[in-house]
Amino acid sequence: MTIEPLITVRDLSLEVARTGHQVVKGISFDIAPGEIFGIVGESGSGKTLATRALISLLPPAIRVTGGSVTYKGKDVMSMPDRALRGLRGAEIGVVFQEPMTSLNPSMTIGRQLEEGLILHTRLSSEERRTRILDMLRRVGIRDPEGALTAYPHEFSGGMRQRIMLASVMLLKPALLIADEPTTALDAVIQRDVMELMVELTRAEGTAVLLISHDLPMVARYTSRIVVMEKGSIVEQGRTEDLLDAPQHPYTKKLLSSLPFRGAARAIETAKAPMVSAQNIVVDYPGRKSLFNKAKPKRALHGVSIEIREGEVVALVGGSGSGKTTLGRTIAGLVRESEGEIRFQGRARDDDWRDYRLNCQMVFQDPYSSLDPRMTILALVEEALRLVPDLDAAAKRKRALETLEEVGLGADYAERYPHELSGGQRQRVAIARAVARRPRFLIADEPVSALDVTVRAQVLDLFSDLQKRYGFSCLFISHDLGVVEQVADRVVVMQDGRIIEEGDRDTIFDQPKEAYTRRLLSAIPALDQNDKGGVTLKWRLEN
Amino acid sequence: MKKLALNGLIGGILVAVLLITAAIGLVWTPFDPMKLSFTARLAAPSAQHLLGTDEFGRDVLSRLMIGARASVWIGALTVFFATLFGTLIGLVSGYARGWVDGVIMAVNNALLAFPGILLALGLLAVFGANQYGIIFALGIAYTPSMARVVRGAVLSLREREFIEASRVMGNGELYTMFRHVLPNCLAPITVLATSMFGWAVLSESALSFLGLGVPPPAPTWGNMLAAGRPLIQQAVWLGLFPGLCITLTLLGINLLGDALRDKLDPRMRGLK
Repeated sequence: MTIEPLITVRDLSLEVARTGHQVVKGISFDIAPGEIFGIVGESGSGKTLATRALISLLPPAIRVTGGSVTYKGKDVMSMPDRALRGLRGAEIGVVFQEPMTSLNPSMTIGRQLEEGLILHTRLSSEERRTRILDMLRRVGIRDPEGALTAYPHEFSGGMRQRIMLASVMLLKPALLIADEPTTALDAVIQRDVMELMVELTRAEGTAVLLISHDLPMVARYTSRIVVMEKGSIVEQGRTEDLLDAPQHPYTKKLLSSLPFRGAARAIETAKAPMVSAQNIVVDYPGRKSLFNKAKPKRALHGVSIEIREGEVVALVGGSGSGKTTLGRTIAGLVRESEGEIRFQGRARDDDWRDYRLNCQMVFQDPYSSLDPRMTILALVEEALRLVPDLDAAAKRKRALETLEEVGLGADYAERYPHELSGGQRQRVAIARAVARRPRFLIADEPVSALDVTVRAQVLDLFSDLQKRYGFSCLFISHDLGVVEQVADRVVVMQDGRIIEEGDRDTIFDQPKEAYTRRLLSAIPALDQNDKGGVTLKWRLEN
Repeated sequence: MKKLALNGLIGGILVAVLLITAAIGLVWTPFDPMKLSFTARLAAPSAQHLLGTDEFGRDVLSRLMIGARASVWIGALTVFFATLFGTLIGLVSGYARGWVDGVIMAVNNALLAFPGILLALGLLAVFGANQYGIIFALGIAYTPSMARVVRGAVLSLREREFIEASRVMGNGELYTMFRHVLPNCLAPITVLATSMFGWAVLSESALSFLGLGVPPPAPTWGNMLAAGRPLIQQAVWLGLFPGLCITLTLLGINLLGDALRDKLDPRMRGLK
């Protein structure tokens, strides 16, 4: 190493001041100028706190117990507040995960961008304006002049993250810390923002510290990676080496948790479909108030979909594509304005009771889909309440059996949802859905809120149950990696219309539509090797 | 967390003392609270009359005990009335939404626009100044705030996915409302009900103080306070002890209400 590292972290340890619980245990790494460096870890691995320590922005409950952080030869820990304020923003910029909350909602974009320039530079207001406009243009804001006087809520999540990036890059920092910068965005926009970030930082010679739970995404853009587990660095090295031949069991586990394509299954196509939706149109009513009546917004423009017996159909698309609306319409949570939904050959609306008994749903957020005041057993038992021909004892037995099946033993039965982790809650949600032995299951982003390794376990569980009970499934997801693992057939939606559908291998290997190709370009194809590693192959957009 | 437990304990003790005193007052008092004695007029607190006597020679402690009974009775019935109707109205309004909600909330807001005590005064003029008139008047005056709080809780709850999950399971609207929505509103209802009990005690005192409550000679804390006012220079205990009773009761109720909320919410249980 002939180049002086930009930032050096040595034996950094952090603990929770009140309990003495160690959250970061003696980690060390360097970042070279202009390098893109990644930290990968699941929630609770300490990756975010470790990077907060780099700019001395730890929450008050966390205490540094040892180690040093050196930035350009200066010790950050002993810096006075004044010097730290000069460092933050001007030298080290930060982009946070949540674009909804990291911009001040009551300030115009122009003023927020100007703030940093006023604080850290001596430019005249005219010069500031040109620089801001120039930067907004570079991050791809269509109408930079208009954006100056607009407020954050007028922009989508992706646009806000671009603006956030612009505000950080305006000051040309030497290091950009990006903490899960794209996790809240859907796959396609995620890729666009990342490409933009790489392009901008490369042009300015800014080093990037990219923190994420998403190993393939980090691997795509970084030259070196650190893997953290429970506060310690378990492995670090060049990105290709780490992926190709991981040494530590945890790294191997992370890599083996990545979704991969299973063998294609034969689905009986001769019989009538289990569920069919024909020409579904859904309008969301406009806001009504005393003085004006907004026009209704059409969310689905005549969509038709069929799900056969035992088939898993994945519904994919970006946010706003209408995939969730379609799922909720089929579930009967949203009324269609036109079209017809048939279940086992009969109109759904003719026999709601039968449909409700046979159609269940798993929701995205395990934190809000379980009633916080009911025990786990009560939640699963409730699903059996309306099932005929089962007495109370049989219902209890079935509920306990189902909990066992999803890997939650009898000692979980009397617990409340808040005592469970996200993965365990989603298991409860799945148990609740399958306890009735439904013929048809709608799963709306069932694993999107889960950590990588937990996601893999829940997906396995889901596949096992699907094989055992053979229910048909509409699997809604923006994550094509997950879809590739579970789906038999894939339906792609954009702007309330179905633009492409076909069996999984056809869609993934020979996509026809440009939008499908864009979706696919956000996820890698995996080749597993015998060293426990993988090779990531990124699909080209064109 | 520790401080909160202590607060809850203090509140619990204060409320327990109130309830026990009221209960004892039902069967036994040191003296007959109505008995006039011209030999012991305006006697200062002493071993015989622990809290002194009033201008007619009646024992203040005995009268306070009887007054506690009236306060607890009126407070409890008022809260029961307001909680029952407020919760039902709020549930229906928040769950049904649409025009039902619009109509209910318009009436509700109109009632809320009156200060509670003014509304109660007006209603008392209609129902007549007696114990049940007060309960009815205060109950009607407090129902809108309960309805509003419950409606707010229901509105935020019904967007949660577990309510939709219940619909997908095929559960009826009534079942969902009482099995999932209502239990999750209990925390705000409890907190409001306890502080409402405090308001009711206070309002009853205020109404009696104004001469619109329970008519003398039956003692309530409010009319005792009112009777003590002109004599504050000669016999400070006449105003002091009823005032202290009202204050400590309110303090106890509020402390207990906060502690109850944390106990009732299962999400708070794991934190200790």
